[in-house]
Amino acid sequence: MDIHSLAEQAAKIVSKYAGEYIVKITRTDDLMAKYARGESTVTQSWSTIDVEVYAAKNQRILVTSYSTTTPERALEELPRLIEALQPSPLYAPLPQANGEPLSFVDEKVREVVLSGDARKQVEELALEEAGDVAGKVEFALKKVVLVGSNGADYSYEATHFNGYVRVFQEKSSGQWSWTSSSYEPSLARKALEQAVELASLCSRLPKKSIEPGRYRVLLSPMVAGNLVEHLAMAASAGSIIFGFSFLQARKPGDKVASEELTVLDKPRDTSLPGFTGFDDEGIATKDKPIVEKGVLKTILHNTKTARVLGGETTGNAGWITPHPYNIEVQPGDHTLDELIEALGTGVYITNNWYTRFQNYLEGRFSTVSRDAVILYENKKPVACTERIRIADSMPNLFSSIEAIGRETWQIEWWEVTVPTRIPHILVKDVGLSRPT
Amino acid sequence: MIDESLLNRLIEEMSSKGAEYAEARYHSIVRTSIIVLNGMVIGVGKEVKEGIALRAVAEGGLGFASSTSLNTEDALAAARRAVMAAKTSAKIRRNPVRMGSARLGRAKYSVVEREPLDDVSLDDKVKSLIEEYKALQLEKNGFKVSSLTLHYAESMETKVVVTSDGAHVESRVPRVVVFYNIAASNGGKQANRFFELGGSGGYEVYRGFNLAKQIQDDIESLYIALTRAGSPPKGWMDVIVSPELVGLIVHESAGHPSEADRVLGREAAQAGMSFRSYYKEERIGSEHVTVVDDPTIPGSLGFYLYDDEGVAARERVLYDHGRLAELLHNRETASVYGVESNAAARAMDYESEPIIRMANTYMKPGDYSFEELVEDVKHGVYIKKYMEWNIDDVRWGQRYVGLEAYIIENGELKQPVTNVVLETTTKNFYSSIDAVGKDLKFYAGICGKGEPAQGVPVWMGGPHVRLRNVYIG
Repeated sequence: MDIHSLAEQAAKIVSKYAGEYIVKITRTDDLMAKYARGESTVTQSWSTIDVEVYAAKNQRILVTSYSTTTPERALEELPRLIEALQPSPLYAPLPQANGEPLSFVDEKVREVVLSGDARKQVEELALEEAGDVAGKVEFALKKVVLVGSNGADYSYEATHFNGYVRVFQEKSSGQWSWTSSSYEPSLARKALEQAVELASLCSRLPKKSIEPGRYRVLLSPMVAGNLVEHLAMAASAGSIIFGFSFLQARKPGDKVASEELTVLDKPRDTSLPGFTGFDDEGIATKDKPIVEKGVLKTILHNTKTARVLGGETTGNAGWITPHPYNIEVQPGDHTLDELIEALGTGVYITNNWYTRFQNYLEGRFSTVSRDAVILYENKKPVACTERIRIADSMPNLFSSIEAIGRETWQIEWWEVTVPTRIPHILVKDVGLSRPT
Repeated sequence: MIDESLLNRLIEEMSSKGAEYAEARYHSIVRTSIIVLNGMVIGVGKEVKEGIALRAVAEGGLGFASSTSLNTEDALAAARRAVMAAKTSAKIRRNPVRMGSARLGRAKYSVVEREPLDDVSLDDKVKSLIEEYKALQLEKNGFKVSSLTLHYAESMETKVVVTSDGAHVESRVPRVVVFYNIAASNGGKQANRFFELGGSGGYEVYRGFNLAKQIQDDIESLYIALTRAGSPPKGWMDVIVSPELVGLIVHESAGHPSEADRVLGREAAQAGMSFRSYYKEERIGSEHVTVVDDPTIPGSLGFYLYDDEGVAARERVLYDHGRLAELLHNRETASVYGVESNAAARAMDYESEPIIRMANTYMKPGDYSFEELVEDVKHGVYIKKYMEWNIDDVRWGQRYVGLEAYIIENGELKQPVTNVVLETTTKNFYSSIDAVGKDLKFYAGICGKGEPAQGVPVWMGGPHVRLRNVYIG
């Protein structure tokens, strides 16, 4: 199906009712093999078409989403919906489109997805050779078309190869992930090696509990990726407007983290699969720092949030809520061995999940470790501990960063939903807790 | 809607390509949402998610495919992809997947809308939300609500499930939910309250929320937390836990660990496993603790009569008077355990495989009034509302942080406190319960699981309970 024709057809209908509109159509073909206990549990295959429409009339805003190949009938109810509305305080005119489309297609990924047959790749990766392994391997091909009343008429194609593995050895486990726009089996193998190494290390070390308190902590790229994603989302003007941001009272120029930390949004980096050359308003994207050397540099905006909070769009629309595309933490100078040396006596947390806020505005949160949590004494791993929590505040945690690793990892999984390139991060005085 | 003969044709296509078991599901969700910020409509959203989901077991592997297109040619291609996916899985499968026998349905049901959602205009729904906002008191003595976001969503979920071994179930379930986030400040201090209400039915569900009253009560909680609440106590003490928190706790530490796919490790790399994989004792709590999951509760957010494998639903007893009891099963895990499925297979939408999910999980009430629970506490704390929570990936170590809580001294509620931390284990929590209230209440939630992640609507509930001698701090 030609989704460009479908977009033009939808735009023609919408233009009858709405002064301003954008139609975005995404076709996704996706193949995913899922593992547990060293065998395949299910292989899934999707062929999906999503038709999303933004329409505005007399400052009233309507956002619709249809997974259908025949949106005509659904779109006919647009006038009834839009007439029931009132002018939105968020309304701003659509800007003149100036997108600079980017495409990146890895032919191997395309071939696998379109054939619907990943048997060869799944056998090549041989994840099950690690024994008791669970995880997923995913191949995806996406085509996006965006047309609008503001002159937008753009399209791009992208491929995506990602996954994660969790390896169990006796009562210990390790987990790691990878993501890329290309089929790079070496990334999957490195992730598997990491997971095996962590599980193996903890299976050899004794188990020891730690007392709740403040510790120097080394965060793996998996953990750091999760926490930095919360920082990047807190920098979205949508999070600020809707009361979900611990950066609400901060403005660009304020110090919000240790000067070791630089976090970038990199939509134009086609090696990470979140890339795009235009946002949902048809504005050209740009790579930019969110936090540079600890200083807040950019609040992520679309045209509407920029009008409400003051500023200009940063090309991060989201029709309602702006968002980052690819996150990168600028690497530091330290090897992993040097970070462990600096850790000295402390805790290396390799994976986490379930990050929840007691108070979004002040950033009070906790998150639970899973997989290997390794205790170091005098730079040596001496024991692994049971599941613990980081229980602290985001401002405190980011202000307490001491050092950043040199080697980066490309992470994407359940708890890191935005593709992220990130090294290990060393933080002092981190609040840790456990059940009593 | 779909021509049902197409579903039968898809079953035939999968069977002809080698599927030992085939399942076709037409699944449509039509959702209208309204977002109101500080009494002004930000925008309206409309979502139509409609398509076909197909599953096949072939050569002992399990495959899933979905198609947005309902066109016969595209749907048949998806059927072939499902079988190919199953064969891909079979390549790295030691133990073949089997679908156990079950009480399959041939049925059609729908939830009645006493006040049909389509009979109330969008205009009236918008006005009602604005009126609710206008009724609120947002400032008091320097305390101020800095932002209030209301998100109203109504949906109609329509499904037809057909399997190669005879199930044929059609269903239609309307739902209404409201989420809200209150951000408030007092001096330099700030706090949030996020909450969700929901049920199945028509617009009468929304009217039953008493939204302004509910939100005002939460604003009062924030007022107390930001103006009068003291620092949390620390140490060993008795704790009264409210139905709001008991509902969450039974969902997290009774419902999730009782999902058989977790116990077997199928979700190990995502939502994790379960202590029930290795826990050898029969008892998990005191004799006062009975936790069930029941999809058939009328008006509930997790309501269904047949699951997405076409199996007839019933109440499942997870913890029975403190003893570990049933697991939640689909046909695959039931076959591993040599039991019949108890109909826990649910899929979020047509792009999702059915996996084991809770529906409405709750602790059975006892016979204590709230006053009777409190009067017997010499030194303790009452946790009324919470914000932060999480639980580890085997559903053992868990943490809940109270937003609104009160010190109890000599059988009486005293001064308010906030940020009270209850960090305990599943066994400690259920074993510490010595009395259970008679005031059963349910709360709405969206439960996440699976890969890709699926969020399905659930209820969580319980009465007030009393814990003896647990650690707070």
